Amino acid sequence: MDSLRARDVGIFLAAAFCGIASGLFGIGGGILLVPMLVLLFSFGQHRAQGTSLVALIPPTGLLAFVAYARAGYVSWRTGLLLIPGVFIGGIAGAWLAKRIEPRRMRQVFVMLLFLLGAWQTVSAIKH
Amino acid sequence: MTSVILLLGLAVGVLVGLLGIGGGVVLVPAMVYLLGMDQHLAQGTSLFMLLPPVGLGALREYWRVGQVDLRAGILSAAGILAGGYAGGLIAVPLTSRELKGLFGGFLMLGAILLWRKSSGEGGRSPVAVQDVADG
Repeated sequence: MDSLRARDVGIFLAAAFCGIASGLFGIGGGILLVPMLVLLFSFGQHRAQGTSLVALIPPTGLLAFVAYARAGYVSWRTGLLLIPGVFIGGIAGAWLAKRIEPRRMRQVFVMLLFLLGAWQTVSAIKH
Repeated sequence: MTSVILLLGLAVGVLVGLLGIGGGVVLVPAMVYLLGMDQHLAQGTSLFMLLPPVGLGALREYWRVGQVDLRAGILSAAGILAGGYAGGLIAVPLTSRELKGLFGGFLMLGAILLWRKSSGEGGRSPVAVQDVADG
């Protein structure tokens, strides 16, 4: 029971850390939560991904969103147009995740992510 | 422009289901470079996109095969909600350039974390074992 509670506290704290990244970078936080569940709490890959999706169901970014909206940093139209695609694409992606070997996919994604990050950093330095 | 945004949403959605993430991590740079948005605007718009349960359809697929830890998920949601407020307060006063640089560094960090995991299988960490056990 005690170890279960310690695990609960650990998960909450890890998620709070993901939340800081979520508010700071305008993201859901799953990109950190999934690896953390796997590395720190020994979740299987699929289970970590399914659990991360649970954490994304409630509007967890609401408080961060309010801070951005107050400062006028929201394009409502773009946001509304994105929602249906992300929802439908999400079903397709989950369907795929069950059918393909996800390791290769993840490696391709990691490359993409790293390149995007490097690009952003370089363009921030140049400007 | 409208169709570009619709397609972008679809592409991001596939990653949502495939990787169990919110998609903002790809969406933000895409809006900055594809749509020419300012960094703050892209981030605020991404948070707006994440308000409705866009991952619900994807979650249903994982739920069907029993790959969900509901208790951990709820705890994580609480943690992200709390942390998100702090993050928002930090981000808003930064300049767009500072935020862009930070975001870039964060993406590279995320990539390295994910890479460690996906290149496992060497048996060094419990992660590799878990991945194998998972099938």
